[in-house]
Amino acid sequence: MAAWVKGGATDADAAIKAAADLLAGARTPVFAGLNADVAALRAAYGLAGVIGASLDSVAAPALYAELGVLSRAGAMLTTAAEAVGRADVVLVIGSAPWDRPIVAEIAAAAPRRGRAAGSERTLLSLGSPSNGATRHVSYPVEDGGLAVSIAHLRAFAKGNLSGEAAYADLARRLAAARFGVVLYEPAEVGELGVEMLQGLVKDLNETTRFFALPIADPFQGRALVQLSAWTTGQAPRTGFGRSLPEHDPWRFDSERQVRAGEADAVVWLATLPAPRPDWLGSVPSVAIVGEGGTDATGDAAEVVIAVGVPGESAGGTLWDERRGTLGYRAAAGQPAALTAAAVLDAIRAHLTVKDLAAC
Amino acid sequence: MLTLIRGGRVVDPTAGRDAVGDVWIEDGRIVAPSQRAPDSTVDATGCVVMAGGVEVHSHIAGGNVNMSRLLLPDLYASEAAPEGHPFAHAGGSAAWIGANYARMGYTTAVEPAMPPANALSTQLELADIPLLDRGALAVLGNDDQLLELLRQREGANAVRDLVALNVATSRALGVKCINAGGASAFKDGVLKLSLDDEIPVYGLSTRKIMTALLDAVEEIGVPHPLHVHCNNLGIPGADDSFVATMEAAEGRRIHFAHAQFYAYAVSDPSDPSVGGFRSAAARIAEAMEKHPNATYDVGQVAFGQTVTISLDILRQFAGRKGANPKKWILTAGDAEGGGVVPFLYKPRGAVSSLQWAIGLELMLLSGDPERTILTTDHPNGGPFTEYPRIIHWLMDKEARDREIASLHAVIGERSGLGAIEREYTLSEIAQLTRSGPAKLLGLTDRGHLREGARADVAVYRDDRDRTAMFARAKLVFKDGQVVVEDGEVVSWRSGHTLALSVESDRAMEKRTDAYLVDRFGAGLDSFAVPDEAFSTPDAFEDVACLA
Repeated sequence: MAAWVKGGATDADAAIKAAADLLAGARTPVFAGLNADVAALRAAYGLAGVIGASLDSVAAPALYAELGVLSRAGAMLTTAAEAVGRADVVLVIGSAPWDRPIVAEIAAAAPRRGRAAGSERTLLSLGSPSNGATRHVSYPVEDGGLAVSIAHLRAFAKGNLSGEAAYADLARRLAAARFGVVLYEPAEVGELGVEMLQGLVKDLNETTRFFALPIADPFQGRALVQLSAWTTGQAPRTGFGRSLPEHDPWRFDSERQVRAGEADAVVWLATLPAPRPDWLGSVPSVAIVGEGGTDATGDAAEVVIAVGVPGESAGGTLWDERRGTLGYRAAAGQPAALTAAAVLDAIRAHLTVKDLAAC
Repeated sequence: MLTLIRGGRVVDPTAGRDAVGDVWIEDGRIVAPSQRAPDSTVDATGCVVMAGGVEVHSHIAGGNVNMSRLLLPDLYASEAAPEGHPFAHAGGSAAWIGANYARMGYTTAVEPAMPPANALSTQLELADIPLLDRGALAVLGNDDQLLELLRQREGANAVRDLVALNVATSRALGVKCINAGGASAFKDGVLKLSLDDEIPVYGLSTRKIMTALLDAVEEIGVPHPLHVHCNNLGIPGADDSFVATMEAAEGRRIHFAHAQFYAYAVSDPSDPSVGGFRSAAARIAEAMEKHPNATYDVGQVAFGQTVTISLDILRQFAGRKGANPKKWILTAGDAEGGGVVPFLYKPRGAVSSLQWAIGLELMLLSGDPERTILTTDHPNGGPFTEYPRIIHWLMDKEARDREIASLHAVIGERSGLGAIEREYTLSEIAQLTRSGPAKLLGLTDRGHLREGARADVAVYRDDRDRTAMFARAKLVFKDGQVVVEDGEVVSWRSGHTLALSVESDRAMEKRTDAYLVDRFGAGLDSFAVPDEAFSTPDAFEDVACLA
């Protein structure tokens, strides 16, 4: 366990008290990062509810490419295990998925379950890097980018466009799938692209089974969405400034709040690695970070508390990308003295109503 | 601490009580009348005293419930929170669910659709529902491992061991099957499935899967009978599926989920494709008389906007084009499917009116309210917060007739509701909402006020306006502690999640671990629901299997 207050090393109790004092004097505190296990996220929501803070995630760009579409149009989805086990046709959109192990796993396997079992798997790509390492049929992205390309593909699939264009061929391959999957990284495809892609998938389901498999962000954003949904009834970003959880993706953008001068304190919660924003030092801040990580230093924030890293030096519930759900990961090594949830709960215990700044 | 609830009308049908009397509480339990002076006395004069309500089928946690929150975030209103729980006024949240059940006098609620693959997520969410004891049913019947085992005819013991392992690993209270084989068939292109239709690839049928699960549940001694969501929900002729499934149980204990959605007879038998449906409530009631092994919950419809949530992906896929507003989420999950489809029950629409009438007709025709459980299949038929109004209609013929007069005339043409004179008594309401569901779940410590029962008690002001009476309990005790006063939560405490205590077979553990590693790249451990994942150390409470 390591802790610092204003750059000086101290013990956990002193750092927790300093963090509580800092937050007690804040009128518009903000929680940012939120790359942590579910217990820590839960404790952050509890503390934010008490002090009227807002919460934002470092995964927000990826989350918002999906969440807006989800509430506006819905989706047809499947899991990684179903894609690996059942799909006879897999379309990979863009370049980001190729950096994840799921593409190689899909490419290496053939359908084993369902009506496509025993058949060959066709791997297709739209706008993929030409690395040649994995055999697939590649279709180029059009000038307008991925979203426009997907729109054209959908137009061919739906019969609104016809001819012998490359996308007409791609659309025919998709329609011939028995269990098709389209794999994409939401932030790369963008909100409009995701909406168009979901429209394509829904259209294909008029005649066959086809599902989308978005790749999760690497910052526990999906765990946060689950926790936020059951805790507040809504997706993140969330603010508690008016004594009820309010969902507002623009208003509670932590970077915007800090740069606009609205936020007067920040809690940076990242027990798993996440890029620390350059604006963190511009307001009084508390950093709760993973022990042994690059941010576990005295200059990361006004108050820095290093805690167990979930799955390494602490047990914790994390998003399991391969399984597409939450899973518990026990500490692999020697447990740390403190967990992020315990620190947040201790800060909350220090804060009483009389300590909070008057409105 | 010894507490006396004095002078209320005590309604406990399990003890034949419906008279003014006292209820004594000590150490979280109902105790015999004491000679000692009570430490605390509640004057219940003019009130009705019942056991805490028990919910058997309400979608209150899990991935699809969260999806519904993301799809339709405007379904519930959030209100500024007064002092107390920071999230209880967040519409649709876990805390909101706990608070609203408690206000109505409910103290136990069960989520009926937990896919074992997503158990930890569901259980974490359940644990965040305050004030209530919770539980979840593990959904089986579409998973490749089970279907493959049945295809290979490995025998009843293997099925039993796999079911027991799933229950133990997911820490479920019971077992449910949802359109057994339907999600698997959907992934393989099937769009309609009946009891004996072949499930592609596996050569099985719903009947074969369901009867194997019925046997397994009996073999394991799960107190709650197999909870069955039949084929063909919501379509004209669904009553045939319901009755055929009841007969397929061949005398084994079976619980039917949301019967209202199956009480739809084809209106024109000579051409079932036209004319829609008419009430089959009388047929269902007659079938229930002949099958004392069966129970059902109702799935009453309430008017207004809602969002339907079901693992019956076949049904939800078919229903997607009726989505209102026009958006929906379908997930081809690892075993079960899942569908979230918004729906508007139009207050004066013909179909909605008839559905509303059929639910009430089912309950009013029931010869045994203890085998007839009040649910709205929350939120599929409407929110559980509609229970007080539904109770009002059951207890008050005049109020019912007023409501019928304001609805579509189809009720008179295609249901028998208008002709029913019956009014439920308070004892029958207690059977419908307390003793019946508690017995059904095999929870002998609740649903009644006999000595030794858990001191989950609801005190209502006796009011001819039954909606007002049951919407805001005067007092609610959970484990002997007052949690609600005058319809408001006064003490935020956490209940327990009830989990069946069941041994799993080592050989099946080993075999399943290998199967899971092959399919998911992670073994049985990654499906676990360990105590360490929970913020409270005693989140779970064991429930014993039947001897």
